[in-house]
Amino acid sequence: MTTSVPEATDAGRPPFSLDEARAVLNEVLAASQAERTLAVLEARDESLTRFANNEIHQNVTSRGHRLTVQAVVGRRSGTASTERLDAGGLRQVADRALALARLSPEDKGLPEPAPPPDPVRASAVEAGGTFVPATAACTPEARAAAVAPLMAAAAGRGLNAAGALTTGSSALAVANTLGRFAYHPDSHSHFTCTVRSSDSSGWVNRHRRDWRALEVESLGEVALGKAERSRDPGEVPPGRYTVVLEPAAVADLVGFLAWLGLGAQSEQEGRSFLSGRMGERITGAGVTLMDDAFDPRSFGRPFDHEGTPRRRMTLIEDGIARAVVHDRRTALAAGTESTGHASPPPAVEGPIPYDLVLTPGDRSLDELIASTGRGILVTRLWYNRVVDAKRTLMTGMTRDGTFLIENGRLTRGLKNLRFNESVLGVLERAEAMGREAEPTVFDYVETCVVASALKVRDFHFTGVTRF
Amino acid sequence: MHDLADRALNAAQLAGAAYADVRVVESRSQMVEVKNQRPSALQESAGLGIGVRVLVDGGWGFAASASADPAEAERCAALACRIARASARFRTKPIVLAPLAAKRATYETPLVRDPFRVSLAEKIDLLLDATRAMQGEPAIAVAQGTLRFWEEKKLFASSEGSRLEQRLVHSGAGICAYARDDRDLQWRSYPNAFGGQYEAAGWELVERLDLPGHAAETAATAAALLSAPQCPAGVATIILDGAQLSLQIHESCGHPAELDRVLGHEANYAGTSFLTPDHLGVLRYGSDVVNLVADATVPRGLGTFGFDDEGVPAQKVDLVREGRFVGYLTSRETAPMLGQASNGTMRAESWGHIPLIRMTNINLEPGPWTIDDLIADTADGILMTTNRSWSIDDRRYNFQFGTEVGWEIRNGKRGRMLKNCTYTGITPRFWNSCDAVCDAADWEIWGTANCGKGQPSQTMRTAQGASSARFREVEVGVGYGT
Repeated sequence: MTTSVPEATDAGRPPFSLDEARAVLNEVLAASQAERTLAVLEARDESLTRFANNEIHQNVTSRGHRLTVQAVVGRRSGTASTERLDAGGLRQVADRALALARLSPEDKGLPEPAPPPDPVRASAVEAGGTFVPATAACTPEARAAAVAPLMAAAAGRGLNAAGALTTGSSALAVANTLGRFAYHPDSHSHFTCTVRSSDSSGWVNRHRRDWRALEVESLGEVALGKAERSRDPGEVPPGRYTVVLEPAAVADLVGFLAWLGLGAQSEQEGRSFLSGRMGERITGAGVTLMDDAFDPRSFGRPFDHEGTPRRRMTLIEDGIARAVVHDRRTALAAGTESTGHASPPPAVEGPIPYDLVLTPGDRSLDELIASTGRGILVTRLWYNRVVDAKRTLMTGMTRDGTFLIENGRLTRGLKNLRFNESVLGVLERAEAMGREAEPTVFDYVETCVVASALKVRDFHFTGVTRF
Repeated sequence: MHDLADRALNAAQLAGAAYADVRVVESRSQMVEVKNQRPSALQESAGLGIGVRVLVDGGWGFAASASADPAEAERCAALACRIARASARFRTKPIVLAPLAAKRATYETPLVRDPFRVSLAEKIDLLLDATRAMQGEPAIAVAQGTLRFWEEKKLFASSEGSRLEQRLVHSGAGICAYARDDRDLQWRSYPNAFGGQYEAAGWELVERLDLPGHAAETAATAAALLSAPQCPAGVATIILDGAQLSLQIHESCGHPAELDRVLGHEANYAGTSFLTPDHLGVLRYGSDVVNLVADATVPRGLGTFGFDDEGVPAQKVDLVREGRFVGYLTSRETAPMLGQASNGTMRAESWGHIPLIRMTNINLEPGPWTIDDLIADTADGILMTTNRSWSIDDRRYNFQFGTEVGWEIRNGKRGRMLKNCTYTGITPRFWNSCDAVCDAADWEIWGTANCGKGQPSQTMRTAQGASSARFREVEVGVGYGT
């Protein structure tokens, strides 16, 4: 059989249906001469309308797919991937993975593939209902019409809007020669906008599976309002301040924990901030951090790249370090079971928690501000980087809406500040948490963090930018 | 490839495109990684796809597909035109491209030994040897070695008559040792962070680096860092080695010189730039000893090619001359706004991405100092080497960097090792504090394989040439004590 790529004219459907994905994976598994084979098909249709200076300057669509084959011979494995899904391409990728496996040194930690799944869990996996046809069917005309009122409003108020509206769909399918098969279609949309004046800016960002829920015009008004309100910014000297971090700023910090040590590989290698600290208190008592692919506000997939169902994991519970996430390799090393967090093969970074959820509090953002005598409201952080991995020490900048809080009110915009802070220290010094949580997706790592606003004392700003 | 390009160009023009270009790109890559004697990655990847970019009614449209067949090429062309019409409805003025002479040509990365013809066994054995040597140091928890290779064959064809074929090959190699004790984690890389050194070159790069020969020293340095004193906090004279300075150049000169950032095209994501057009030809970006060029023609650079992804020939242009800011990185769309022609910096990550202004090779030209003379000339300072942390604001003004290793300099001599070195500053103030740049013997063209920009986000390989240089009155040791 020769598998063909789905018809390109279809709208409002995922890039591969279940049957189409199964056909590709079955064919490549049949073509593989390895003792055991894992095959992963990832496909993505994505369209993006990008605007700047109140006009559309970039408008793109791309239809991509990638088939990855991991071949195993004894204790040796090799991984090959291809974009060619014709019969020749499938044979070639299977043969190449096998050739790499045969040349590989023995790997004593290589796990067995995932067995066929529990049928009850499998049906739950397929009942996700995460694909929204209207998002996949969104047209360039509709995207342009959605952003047009915002661009006009910005121009009318002497401001400059830049941003992007993205719509698309995806499919992930995983199969192995033991009979495991898992398929997940999804849709995604994203609106982000920065509005600038000559000396200020404001920003909004929202992800939804259904693009009709993005509320582009009202979101744009938030960015417009922030840009206007932060005009003629003042300056505060570096030092320690009480801050109210909006949800995106919280996500900008907490998201790094996923890469700094909430995966079992870094924990086992002794590189994690959690290494040797399991069961200890590592943050303030009110902090609970989960990984939950099934949280309706997140965009998680119900299984991982080994086809293992995702488990809900409590990673930090009331400030106590409780768990890290596993794939089959780290689980084998730890004598436990995979939690369904395998990264795409060859998974050099090991398992990763892709859907972090910080348990919210009970205060509105306005209440957090109102309870602050003197402090700083931070809309978002930018270019956060790890200064010291073991200490979870980060540096970065505030951006697009930094305000002085005086006597419970926002009194003026501020020039942007550089911070140096430990993420665990921030969670230790958190005084109150917001109740409205928003998902923030890091597009380059595909980690989603669902977080609400956070009020933190003694947040350490070390520098100020003067333009 | 040519047939696909023809079909797409014809379809685009029939659908009303005033301008169209097509890129058909076939790519492959290989990654070999060994960690603690285990093969942590043996991976190969192959890709083939087509991207069609059109101008209709003065607006851009782009459509791309991994299915590189004639019908899909025509679908992409028609869809790109439809998208362009949607763009054009919301433009205040039409996009106009700088003129470009049509050209037919080919270009290939010069290779001594094609890395895709080197056996996997040779590659694995090399990394096993290097990581085994690092594991001889007891404090080493993780000993890792990585080899990466990329090949890209691409055809560019435009409705103006250009037809350009290129084969670009990039190679990368490096090792890293992680040392830990009960309280600390430190690491040391060779020859650079982020997986090592990357060049537009073949296996000869790997041979030249001699990873096994540097493994023991790399591991010993990582272990020694555990007990090294903390970098002091204060204001100091610093000397940055070429590898660290290359990332400083990348972040604080390369990015702000991108004209699309300056014009606000990246305002929502990568950011804008403090190098606004009123500064062109006027701003004292650095001291008199600072000369920076964008050179897409220099050997071994990851930003070296025959033609950019708009078909513009590779060029060498001044960005900073004797400290004065004199030039931008431009494209056919942006250059006319300055009354110029494109200087050829548009590149796309893949067939599925639209080309953007990207750094080519941003090089700090060598100065007169030998590194030994520069250290001998420094009474009191810190030598910082190899990047560990990097952050800069959205206008590329306020930065903070950290390095893997530092050494005290006292009375012209290199002294004890320091750990957790950081420094921070404001870009033009920092470059104006530069009073010495080392010579060509100390100069290297350092590859950066992970430069991110654009929506959807694209990763690009760029390079920055640099030798060691000295900077006065820099704030150091920031961050610790938090």
